[in-house]
Amino acid sequence: MLKCNINGVDLEVPEGTKLIEAFLKAEQKIAHYCWHPGLSVAGVCRLCMCEIEGNPRLQIACNTEVQEGMVASNQSEKVKETVRWGMDFHLINHPLDCPICDQAGECGLQEQYMEYGQYTPSMAHAKVKKRKVVSLGSKVVLDSERCILCSRCVRFTDEVTKTHELGIFNRGDKSEIGTFHDKPLENKYAVNTVDICPVGALTSKEFRFKQRVWYLKDEKTVCPGCSTGCSVKVYHNQEGLFRVKPEYDAEVNEHWMCDEGRGVFDWVNRQNRQSYSVNAENMEKPSSSELKLILTAQQTVEEYESLFEYLKSSNKKVEVYYWKNNPDKFDDFDNLLIRGDKNPNTKGLLETAVKHDITLNPFSGFDGFESFEGDIWFILPENKAVYPLYEQYVEKALKLENNLTIFAVPKVKVDKTKKNISILPLKTYFEKDGHFLNFNGLKRQLKPGPLQVSSALALNEWVSFVKSDDFGDQVDLLSKRKSEGFRKKNEMTQTGGGL
Amino acid sequence: MSKAIESKLLTEYYDDPHYMSFEGYTKRKGYEVLKKAFKMKPEEIVAEVKASGLRGRGGAGFPTGVKWGFLPKNDKKRFLLCNADEGEPGTFKDRMMMEKAPHQLIEGMIISAYAVNAHKSYIYIRGEYTDCLRIVKEAIDEAYAKGLLGKNILGSGFDHDMDVYSGAGAYICGEETGMISSLEGLKGQPKLKPPFPAIQGYLKFPTIVNNVETLAAVIPIIEKGADFYKSLGTEKSTGTKLFSVSGDVVQPGNYEVELGTPLMDLIELCGGLKPGRSLKAVIPGGSSAPVLTADECVDATMDYENLSAKGSMLGSGAVIVIDDSHSMVDLLTVIMHFYHHESCGQCTPCREGTGWLEKLVKGILKGSGRVEDLDLILRVANNMKGRTICALSDAAALPALSFVEKFRLEFEQHIRTQSPVRERETTSHA
Amino acid sequence: MSVEVKRKDQNQSWLLPSVLSGMSLTFGKMWGNLFNRKKMPTLNYPEEKYEYGPRFKGNHVLTVKKDGSLRCTACMLCATNCPADCITIIASEHDNEEVEKFPIHYEIDILRCVFCGFCEEACPVDAIRMGPEWQSPALNGGSFVYDIRHLAFRSELRGGIESRLDDAERHKAGI
Repeated sequence: MLKCNINGVDLEVPEGTKLIEAFLKAEQKIAHYCWHPGLSVAGVCRLCMCEIEGNPRLQIACNTEVQEGMVASNQSEKVKETVRWGMDFHLINHPLDCPICDQAGECGLQEQYMEYGQYTPSMAHAKVKKRKVVSLGSKVVLDSERCILCSRCVRFTDEVTKTHELGIFNRGDKSEIGTFHDKPLENKYAVNTVDICPVGALTSKEFRFKQRVWYLKDEKTVCPGCSTGCSVKVYHNQEGLFRVKPEYDAEVNEHWMCDEGRGVFDWVNRQNRQSYSVNAENMEKPSSSELKLILTAQQTVEEYESLFEYLKSSNKKVEVYYWKNNPDKFDDFDNLLIRGDKNPNTKGLLETAVKHDITLNPFSGFDGFESFEGDIWFILPENKAVYPLYEQYVEKALKLENNLTIFAVPKVKVDKTKKNISILPLKTYFEKDGHFLNFNGLKRQLKPGPLQVSSALALNEWVSFVKSDDFGDQVDLLSKRKSEGFRKKNEMTQTGGGL
Repeated sequence: MSKAIESKLLTEYYDDPHYMSFEGYTKRKGYEVLKKAFKMKPEEIVAEVKASGLRGRGGAGFPTGVKWGFLPKNDKKRFLLCNADEGEPGTFKDRMMMEKAPHQLIEGMIISAYAVNAHKSYIYIRGEYTDCLRIVKEAIDEAYAKGLLGKNILGSGFDHDMDVYSGAGAYICGEETGMISSLEGLKGQPKLKPPFPAIQGYLKFPTIVNNVETLAAVIPIIEKGADFYKSLGTEKSTGTKLFSVSGDVVQPGNYEVELGTPLMDLIELCGGLKPGRSLKAVIPGGSSAPVLTADECVDATMDYENLSAKGSMLGSGAVIVIDDSHSMVDLLTVIMHFYHHESCGQCTPCREGTGWLEKLVKGILKGSGRVEDLDLILRVANNMKGRTICALSDAAALPALSFVEKFRLEFEQHIRTQSPVRERETTSHA
Repeated sequence: MSVEVKRKDQNQSWLLPSVLSGMSLTFGKMWGNLFNRKKMPTLNYPEEKYEYGPRFKGNHVLTVKKDGSLRCTACMLCATNCPADCITIIASEHDNEEVEKFPIHYEIDILRCVFCGFCEEACPVDAIRMGPEWQSPALNGGSFVYDIRHLAFRSELRGGIESRLDDAERHKAGI
């Protein structure tokens, strides 16, 4: 450990620490664009200037390693003036179109400008014109004029994905980010470049212009896309979920996530959800003493716990079937983040089953179910896209004559006259409390975000309803529950009609 | 009369047209020093060079022996690179050296490589120097044929391979780390320091980068000893140096003189100014060196310390003489255009600043400038200085600063007389 | 504390003089207005309407560019700044890369609007203005939600109000 003093704050850092990391560790503000903790040092934005005692020249903090007893500061007027000019150099050719730019509100330039802006612009000449709205691939759009050439995206494709699609072309103030003509930016992690872009140069086609970022709230949670279980932030507002960004997690995903995981919020939005219960009263009737249960590894450990406890305590003859989506590709891994097991909690399910002494029979369709007379509980996976046989099985299940209860997140189209089928809406990972165990058994906690479908419950909550005596009343209450904080804009006049 | 001050240490036989061939070179005691060097230990050569006080002739003037001493003391692989990417406007000494005496460079390089224990060296030649490329290539082939390169050179047990690499015309590849990037096949952009090339350079191996003239100067040092070399020049600037004199002199060209020669003597050596003209300014070290006014030139001597005391620098030794027929605004515009065009675009202050400076100066030249723009030029240049990875930003800022500071009156006058805005104002008042 | 009550005297309790003076004022004005209509301070609404000055903050107008397309860039600053939450915008990608973003849907719920003028102040490109129009009658609730067609191209605007700031000119000047 090395002792150093940053802006008067004494601290100890491990050897090899860059000065900028020490600044951030000491919770001192230091301007920077090109430095990113997950990438190599480029040292090109020249904003992280600081004064080191004994060195007459200002140094960039990102390329200076902390030495024993180093005293560094960035509080002097000299440093601030330098940073102000550094900002100005960034801005002289930067277009003034924040209103159009999608990054506005979370833009590095805007943030730094508040502190280090010159406010009286001295640039009176025409700006350098570059390409606008360049499609770099199927997911990312580039605006060269907004680019400050920090080279983070280039280093990302060189160092993290090692696909080398991006490069900086031309030189001087005509430099531009670009792809080689025959190789667009098409890798499975491409949208990370949008996250690390400190300005609005790279934007995601998916999210572009959908929402202004200041309308969004974020919720830290876990990506349910595969068994890696990346820590992510989900951005949402009353209109639904809009995007997912990675959150730093040293043990799992560091700073990155895959593009597949960015699309997984879609099923949470209410338009894709089973939003009401069907024939819920079936649950009250005294049912058969035999029960077959089909489940996937997409629920939380808490849900499995309460479910298995219930199964054990009820005096029923229970058989549990475990539906594995793609057994042949289950153990695939791309050596970065993406795993073939597309369920967030396989480990959790297996461990809980062992704990409660439940045998998980492999589920491969309803072929053996014809002679079965008892009840069937079918817990549908929330991420149906990764279950290729989803539609087929659901269709088959709806034709069964048994007393069937479907727990579903996605919409299930059912003939309401079929009284033997009841459907209970489930909460998604975004709305419920609990935790997942990822592929190597790391526990990752979910935090409940705002409810998207008011009548949805988590599996453990349904189980506790089933156990209680007044199931029907509870469901009635549930249907009257309102989604939190949701008011459609202009609701009054649009629904109010005539005066 | 004037020829007397010339001190031809490197360029002694340059008038001999056969000097460029192997036969001509060996006739003039060529490769004799190499044999002497092989009898010495590598450490002795490094010590000799260190003792001679030889400073890098490429521009920065860093002591060569000290630079060699930075290499890690082990037997691991390292490289010697010869920087022949002579891009500094006004400089043309390396070109002459390569064209007139390619074997001199090769001999100097073998000695240096032997001293630093490098078994592979590259000569990085400026892209535009196609003749040099051909001549040096042929010379290397000759040297291979004569057993001066390859395995076990002259029975010394020292192996060395040499290769030539042509640049593609970027000024920034004359910067040592930029050159290393270019050699590695990357975009020619300077690299962050630390790590310095002597620790981690070409392909991440320790690398020594020296200018053509520096490597050639190793020969007389080994031949005649460090003491002799030290006896030339001044105390801190030892030896001789080639100066590429250009501009408004009667006989522009390369002149080898001792360091410490008075600037006016050097101009005199070139035949003096054109008749009827008076000296206005001199850029003593290539376009990136701050300009000297005629008054400052009077007592200027061409050595590292005197020029830096005057706020300028010796640089690569390109003396650009400017007489009173030239507009400083015009000259600064040309220089600023050059640096704007050559900035690699990596660091923001340089990438944006060089363009801004050009726009400002061009505006003044074209008549749309304002007097306040002069202060803005100073502010912009001051904030580009020392803020970037390499020195190109300084190279652009220093001339801008010195031109505007030292010739402010001329700039202001230009603004007043050229500016259409001012004209309109004066006519409306009249 | 004692309060002294002032009793009316005989003259004051006789009301006729006051009535007559009041009547004379009323009838004086009546005759005056009947014979000199120009001096009449009231209007025959709705046949006659009062014209407010151009700075009056009345009904909203979306300005247009020289080519007649909407000036609005869908930055949503007006919607963000709106205290009544009455502006709804849906942005979309424009084919012209210099325009880049434009609203495909812009709605103002005029019944929610409090005419504070914050939208006008928030707009960075002079795309929304509050004009001198002040009447907003309609027959049903839905008609009080003004869409782009009404805000920018209603017949009263005669083809649209041109914005002072034009992006094409800005791009040409290199700003």
